[in-house]
Amino acid sequence: MQAIPTIEQNEAAVRFDAVTKRFDDVVALNAVSLDVQTGEFLTLLGPSGCGKTTLLKLAAGFLGPDAGAISINGRRVNELPTYQRGIGMMFQNYALFPHMSVADNVAYGLKTRRVPKPERQQRVAEVLALVKLTGMERRMPRQLSGGQQQRVALARALVINPTVLLLDEPFSALDKSLRTSMQVELREIQRKLGLTTIFVTHDQSEALSLSDRVAVMSEGRIRQLGSPVDVYRAPTDQFVATFVGDNNKLRGRLLSVGDSDAVIELGSAQIKVPSERLAKLEKSAPVDLFVRPEQFCVVSANEPSAMTGHVVAQIYQGGHVDLQIECPGASRDRLLVRSAGDQAVVRWPMGATVGVSIQPGGCAAFPAE
Amino acid sequence: MTERPFLRTFTTPAALCALGFAAAMAAVLQYSLRAYVPGSLDPGGFTLANFADLLKPLYARVFFDTVVICAVTAVATLIVGYPLAYALVHIEQPILKSTLLVIVVTPLFLGEVVRTYSWIIVLGNNGFINSILLSLGLVEKPLQLMFTSFGVVVALVHVTLPVMVIMLAAGLSHIDRDYARAAESLGAGPIRVFLTVTLPLSMPGVVAGTTTAFAWTFSAFATPQLIGGGRVNMISNLVYQLGFASFNFPFAATLCVAGLALTAVVLGLLQIAARPLQKIKVH
Repeated sequence: MQAIPTIEQNEAAVRFDAVTKRFDDVVALNAVSLDVQTGEFLTLLGPSGCGKTTLLKLAAGFLGPDAGAISINGRRVNELPTYQRGIGMMFQNYALFPHMSVADNVAYGLKTRRVPKPERQQRVAEVLALVKLTGMERRMPRQLSGGQQQRVALARALVINPTVLLLDEPFSALDKSLRTSMQVELREIQRKLGLTTIFVTHDQSEALSLSDRVAVMSEGRIRQLGSPVDVYRAPTDQFVATFVGDNNKLRGRLLSVGDSDAVIELGSAQIKVPSERLAKLEKSAPVDLFVRPEQFCVVSANEPSAMTGHVVAQIYQGGHVDLQIECPGASRDRLLVRSAGDQAVVRWPMGATVGVSIQPGGCAAFPAE
Repeated sequence: MTERPFLRTFTTPAALCALGFAAAMAAVLQYSLRAYVPGSLDPGGFTLANFADLLKPLYARVFFDTVVICAVTAVATLIVGYPLAYALVHIEQPILKSTLLVIVVTPLFLGEVVRTYSWIIVLGNNGFINSILLSLGLVEKPLQLMFTSFGVVVALVHVTLPVMVIMLAAGLSHIDRDYARAAESLGAGPIRVFLTVTLPLSMPGVVAGTTTAFAWTFSAFATPQLIGGGRVNMISNLVYQLGFASFNFPFAATLCVAGLALTAVVLGLLQIAARPLQKIKVH
């Protein structure tokens, strides 16, 4: 029987294939390959200058790659100008046309597509209802609040049924409470429409809370690509471990390496970690152990524990308390220890000598740097 | 209010200058209301006759011509200057950019008389343009370019261009690139982006540039004097003739006052017409 050619089921909506981009002598992107699946919410996360915005601009067509290929829905777009790519984009400052009303801003992409007026009006009304801005049609952008401006920007990008939605740090200009509600709302709309989305941010908590997958970037490369849980729980290198979420870095020694687990000695404690990154190390080699603040457990000084130290700062956060603990024997830096509830405030006062133990599971270790 | 001890120190020289200007203006105003005594440099008694004389067709005509020449010059400068300003803002290559800037700004550094003489060389009957046209056989006898309004406008556009380009470029460079990018992402090609986004957003710069160009040309003297050769007269030329050929200082002063008032009125009208544009907040 002859094989019938079929359309590949999991054709990536956006594919970057070994994409390189240089600015003069600076390599902004170094042979980056990335597949964004249809309907997925993928976040490019990294510090400023890591190349995440460059990657987004390449997808939009504001920049062209020096090497490699970019395709959208299986079509190579390297040479395709922005206005023929059918993308929707939200800018950091929203870039609402200041000389046009809300309705004209939203209708702009429909006019360029020569959508007839009755249909245009209907679609503008629908999308404004979706972003809860019905009745604001005739306002000018400067008459809107930051949150409302953002909704208009979203509506303007959505109304053209884009093949992919590109978001360039759209929440950075909003205050914190508004930001959270806008994030939830954006994600709901994105799910409802099944819209492939690439989201750029330097805010790791935003990346963790919103994404299907996160690509952590630094120095023009993708360091790790995975679900938020993967990236948080199983970082693949020290950069990711440090950049995503709060982390404590401790110096330990390798006791033994097995097929899947390795045991690390830290003071009097022995901690089991995945052995993947440590396979090449010899026994008793130094390792960097990363422990999340919530994996520490504070106990009385006379109980058995991994380390002892004293409390130097208490940061009350309502739902939890962050303690900074100085452990001269274990780490040069203060340990950040997170304790759920607020009992820690009275139980471990400033200056108290305490023991710190580590809960098993969920630590990451790398060869010492 | 907080104390600002430096304010007085810094504003005093400015206030003294302003006092000087005000005194000079008052002198001109005073002269404009005095009678002309033929054969005498001293003015006569108080009269409003000078202002009535402004309505004589001979003089009214010069005012009308001046406004037309200024308006045509301002619009022509805008048309020539806009692409230059656009290029100046959007060219990324540093060498090309500074070359363009130098070319645009150079007319400012040439003296008015030198610049105007170079236009005489270009526009004259045996000048650059006519010798080329004649040698190519495109015309049979030289085109009359000197001593025409057209020649005056061409030379005035040259003078006014740097000011226009700088003002337009300032306006254009304040437009965030993301507006054009947003329009592109929504499917607009380069021409549509320009017509629907860049051009409307640059209107404040267009208004400022045109207004300034108008005011800038209004007081032109050497250009209409040399290229117009007495056949194209603007207000400054009339003031010169009356003041320094006929020694009719009172009427020359009246012309100055009227010219100043006319400029103020025209600029005021332009500002009112442009008011809707001021609402555009580009940032």
